[in-house]
Amino acid sequence: MEIICIENLTKIYKKGKVEVTALRDITLNINEGDYISIVGKSGSGKSTLLNIIGGLDHLSAGSLIVKGKDLNKINRKELADHRKFTVGMIFQSFNLIYSRTLSENITLALAFGGIKHKHRKLKANELLELVGLAERTDHKPSEISGGEAQRVAIARALANNPEIILADEPTGNLDSATSEEIISILKKLNKDQGKTIIMVTHDTEIAGSVSDRIITLKDGMIINNQK
Amino acid sequence: MDFIDLSQLALSNQWRTKLRSSLTILGVVIGIGALTSMISFGVGMQKNITDAFSKNDLFTSLTVTAKNINLDDITSGNAAKIGEKLAGPSTVLNDSVVEKIKNIPKVILAFPDIRFPVKLRYKGKETSVSLSAIPKGMKDFYPFNKIKTGSFFSNDTAFEILLKEKVFKNMGFATNPSDTIKGLGKKTFIQPYDLINSEINIVSKDIDFRKIISNPLFIFKNPTREMPFKDTVIKFTIKGLIPEETEFGFDRFSNMAVIPIDASKRIPNLGFNNVWDLLKNNSEKESYGSIYVRVEDVKDITPVADSLRKAGFNVFAFSEQLKEIKRSFIIMDSLLGAIGVIALVVAALGIINTMLMSILERTREIGIMKSIGGSEGEIKMIFFVEASTIGIIGALFGIALGWVVTRVANVIMNTQLRPQGLPSIDLFSFPWWLILGSIAFSIVISLAAGLYPAIRAARIDPVKALRHD
Repeated sequence: MEIICIENLTKIYKKGKVEVTALRDITLNINEGDYISIVGKSGSGKSTLLNIIGGLDHLSAGSLIVKGKDLNKINRKELADHRKFTVGMIFQSFNLIYSRTLSENITLALAFGGIKHKHRKLKANELLELVGLAERTDHKPSEISGGEAQRVAIARALANNPEIILADEPTGNLDSATSEEIISILKKLNKDQGKTIIMVTHDTEIAGSVSDRIITLKDGMIINNQK
Repeated sequence: MDFIDLSQLALSNQWRTKLRSSLTILGVVIGIGALTSMISFGVGMQKNITDAFSKNDLFTSLTVTAKNINLDDITSGNAAKIGEKLAGPSTVLNDSVVEKIKNIPKVILAFPDIRFPVKLRYKGKETSVSLSAIPKGMKDFYPFNKIKTGSFFSNDTAFEILLKEKVFKNMGFATNPSDTIKGLGKKTFIQPYDLINSEINIVSKDIDFRKIISNPLFIFKNPTREMPFKDTVIKFTIKGLIPEETEFGFDRFSNMAVIPIDASKRIPNLGFNNVWDLLKNNSEKESYGSIYVRVEDVKDITPVADSLRKAGFNVFAFSEQLKEIKRSFIIMDSLLGAIGVIALVVAALGIINTMLMSILERTREIGIMKSIGGSEGEIKMIFFVEASTIGIIGALFGIALGWVVTRVANVIMNTQLRPQGLPSIDLFSFPWWLILGSIAFSIVISLAAGLYPAIRAARIDPVKALRHD
């Protein structure tokens, strides 16, 4: 069952009068429960593709249908709902809010998801427990390690129970041992909960070990799409 | 995101940048403080004046004068016009006119304005006062309805007098024990209560015709330098003490000595209020300068005034000036308010500045919020509510500041007034609508100030924001 259908997706950035084509004629179908890795050199357009799927960026041409909804045709409110409920994003630099505790970082996402006050704390604790950080709910992001921060980010991505997890270089800032931990959490989510995972990485070894499919981008075009 | 979330977020974000937030809030506090104290002053003045007006029954009284000489004509120097007026048929204000006015429906009191200078002599000491005469009917009206020491006259012909305590101070007596040592000599202390029913001499001057007859050219040949006047001394009984002014001090009967109207006719006097009276022709000699009329209710002023005007009199009624007075208060209030509004506008610029700074600092946070599902509307609300908390907190403290400022200003004002022997007054008024109004106004201003930053925050491109440091 296809959860994401991408057809002739093109993304052009305008920098003054110069047009830069970041993605060119991308056509790609992703099935529910897939673990997809997108690899390629920096500047190949892999993060842009992920941001467009995540509803953070807009495509210039073509179509992108996620769970039957054409992201290019929905309004801003629906796009925000797409980010809330359909996808969960994980970043290389974790992107936690540093002034808030781990628990608060997650309750913020729960608040956006419309979860009632009384349920939030419990839900946040459950999510942190899931990633093995039950003891550290009241710590600030600055007091934990990179691997722990990425686990909090995963917990946050799961807050509103999305079907798709978008991970942009989730292990880019981590050492190999920690990287394996993170990848195994993602794999577990894929296996146990059936989450569709799209992971951008430049580490082909990790990509090869975990993915159902590896998509290679070069200069904004898919040059390889293998099982 | 519900309202609780928004306010919690707003307050925690303010707390994170305590110094900056409190400085911005201080700006609002000063703005609101200025606005409320200014308006409070305007409202207070209005209240003091209208209270004094209604206390003195200015809204239910009118003054009738004989000739309709327009003050503008006099000041403009248009002599021809004045002459025209003076030459025209004139109505004379005499006792029969007073009686006629009394018979107009809704008129409860009408009496001529009689006042003339006399000397009061008590226990060998003297002072000059302007003596005025009123009928017994005034008993029910301010300030005579407030007599605490003694009582009002028994009737219109009695040789009884009402005085202010000040008269005795002017004579050189002390009316409270602490004043006795002041000055060079020791002053004699008199108990106000003891004055009641004691006697006082009214010394009035009149032209001594015998002196003029014996020496018609007194001005030129006057070896004794004696003026052609004679003194008449009449004994009056002190009946009561008129309370000192407690309000703005312009009560109509500010005269310090008052006697019954018919008794006043028994006191010989020079018989003129001013030099104009000397120029009057004989038929006008027995007339009055003006007649004071009191009606039952404010709404009776216009019909009574109209019927008097039709009869050819000139009528002046304060209540008819009310519109004008109200308009001038609106102008004063707006000027005062404008000063406060300027302060508040400056504070609003402070809010805009703070919010824009805060958005710049939190660009990445905004990107994160968007990436985890924050909609433009939600981001907008977060910053909107944040701006409005500045307004609300600022308003609350600003009102407190305004209140403190007005209290302090009042105390300072009154310490200036007291040594001058003036009664203390409350210059400011703090009605509930002012408090609610300033809170509402502050919130509106801070929302307006927060609007642009909030929209800007909502429009931030999340992809760029996440790359932002």
